Amino acid sequence: MLEAIDLTKRYEDGMIGLDSLTLKVEPGEIFCMFGANGAGKTTTINLFLDFIPPTSGTALIEGIDVHKDPLKAKRHVSFVSENVMLYGNFTAVQNLDYFSRLAGKRSLTKADYGEVLTRVGLQKEAFDRRVKNFSKGMRQKLGIAIALVKDAANILLDEPTSGLDPQSGREFLETLVQMRDRGKSVFMSTHDIFRAKLIADRVGFMRKGRLVMMKTAKELEGADLTDLYIQYMEEEPPVA
Amino acid sequence: MLRDIIRKEILDNITSPKFVFTFLLCTILILVSVYTGVTNYGAERKEYTAALALNKKNLESQPNYNSLAGIGVKVNKPPQVLGTVVNGIEEAVGRVAPVNIAADPNLIDSKYSSNPVFAVFGPLDLMFIVKIVLSLFAILFTYDAIVGEKERGTLKLALSNDVPRDRLILGKAIGGYISLLIPLLIPLLLSLLILLIAPNIHLAGQDWLRLLLIFLMFFLYLSVFFSLGLFVSARTSRSSTSFLVLLFAWVVIVMVIPKLAVIVASQARPIPSVHEVTAKKDAFLQQIQQEGQKTAREWIQQQQTEAAKDPKGFQDRLRKYIEDLQQDLTSQIDANNAAIERDYQLKKGAQQTLAVNLSRVSPASALTFGSMTLARTGVDEFDRFLASVRSYKPVYTKWINSKFGESINFQTGEMATISIDDMPQHVLEPERLSRSLLRTLPDFGLMAVMILVFFVGAYASFLRYDVR
Repeated sequence: MLEAIDLTKRYEDGMIGLDSLTLKVEPGEIFCMFGANGAGKTTTINLFLDFIPPTSGTALIEGIDVHKDPLKAKRHVSFVSENVMLYGNFTAVQNLDYFSRLAGKRSLTKADYGEVLTRVGLQKEAFDRRVKNFSKGMRQKLGIAIALVKDAANILLDEPTSGLDPQSGREFLETLVQMRDRGKSVFMSTHDIFRAKLIADRVGFMRKGRLVMMKTAKELEGADLTDLYIQYMEEEPPVA
Repeated sequence: MLRDIIRKEILDNITSPKFVFTFLLCTILILVSVYTGVTNYGAERKEYTAALALNKKNLESQPNYNSLAGIGVKVNKPPQVLGTVVNGIEEAVGRVAPVNIAADPNLIDSKYSSNPVFAVFGPLDLMFIVKIVLSLFAILFTYDAIVGEKERGTLKLALSNDVPRDRLILGKAIGGYISLLIPLLIPLLLSLLILLIAPNIHLAGQDWLRLLLIFLMFFLYLSVFFSLGLFVSARTSRSSTSFLVLLFAWVVIVMVIPKLAVIVASQARPIPSVHEVTAKKDAFLQQIQQEGQKTAREWIQQQQTEAAKDPKGFQDRLRKYIEDLQQDLTSQIDANNAAIERDYQLKKGAQQTLAVNLSRVSPASALTFGSMTLARTGVDEFDRFLASVRSYKPVYTKWINSKFGESINFQTGEMATISIDDMPQHVLEPERLSRSLLRTLPDFGLMAVMILVFFVGAYASFLRYDVR
């Protein structure tokens, strides 16, 4: 489970990156966070990964305070970032092997890697090809495979669908749904309203570091998410 | 985990085009330089042996001691076997020091004077390759070690796991260093093989130890640039910035500081020019020769009555007088030259020490001076050789003066034929390894301190590095 309690990040120049975020992503739930660039989506993920310290508040992964015990907390989280280039001189399998070892998975075989890579939709011929020759979509699939192989209870995704073609996007969504069905807590920051609507259990809208709206999938039924997005991006944050 | 990070770092490096390029260039350059060094050493050794034989023959062919005293003897500087890897100033300074009564010995006939084009490009020895080429490679291997991973997004991905940052930087440093050593070690081992099997190279036990210490110094020097690269990479947020900063640092360290140190030292501790020193010596020589001739004439005039009475006794007394006078004049010239030379050497030494110490801020200078000392091809060895020739000069002049006096028949004017069997020989004791090591300790120490400072800087910077 991912939990943010009054989580705030104020940068040295006084800019607010995240303003009192309180949020819980339950096991078996996909939470999609929307917001314009600089709204605070990536800051939230950076705080959950202890890449930056919070100004106040707490980020918890499986109940572990990320800032107080980052290494212990990170054992329970996988991360998929936007545009990860990976090691270009390595093959897909070599990249997967290295990151799975960092994640503490040392006993995996080449067959295991093959199975994960197939699951994310990577062609078999690409397994032993150097990643520098991969398309953006292929690299993204490999990034997801890296997250899958760690098999952590929580998954953080930072705009993972950007640059994916429709086929890859669909395969990606299927993978996320599988993860949710296996009880993972999934937090995804995205601009991709259409794909998110297909899989999200809850969505949130961020504006200037504040979570200005949160709706469940049921509440979204029949609603036009695009209109909602535009409306909330333009409006001043409503009083909570 | 550390092993995984090291393994990844090595694999990432050795599968990169820069590794292939580095490996090929290192192999070609190192092997060519050692082969050239071995060939040159063989030629110099042959030249040295031939020069010794020629000198001897030349001395023996002189008709009398007068003409022998006129030409003097030539002391040849033997080539150093480790000049094959660290040429030092071997080719820039002379190879021969003529010793005669009148002039103060100095080294002449350098390779550069016989073919100045060599001076334009300098020697392509192993030290040059390490100092210039491999230090650039060390930068090439590290400028994006941290910042490059940030740009690729792999740093975020790695640190999203329970990977301690200290272990990551340590693994990257060890793996990166091993990757840098691979293209260096293989050609170096091949070079050792060349030195081992080359027929004209005979390395004694101490030479091997010196060679190992030189190699150790090479590795330390490269480690300085490696840790500097790691440090700058952990302080910048773009790899292009990191590369530019490192390139600037390289130019300052390798090119600017050593030259600037010499300029500063020459301004802070000026010394008289060689021409001034020679002019001073010549003036005294002329003065003493005139005084000597005057004294001799006066003595002969005083002795004329006695000479008419006892010509045989006069001839003996004249021989003795000339011998003593000659010895006295030579001693005076030597004493004066030695005093001028001592003063000059003191000033030169002070300037040299200041320049060396100032330039040692740069690891490139520490490498140059340290490796030259270990290879016995540096300024200190040149000074030591010259000092030994200068100490030999009075011994030689005493011998030639005694022979000169003994051999003249003042009545007939005939001179005896010469024999150089009892001529004192110049001997140069090789510097002991312990002494060389003692003198290179500051260089080893400085490089070790720099490595430590840069690595601690890189380590501390990485612990707080913004990975976003």
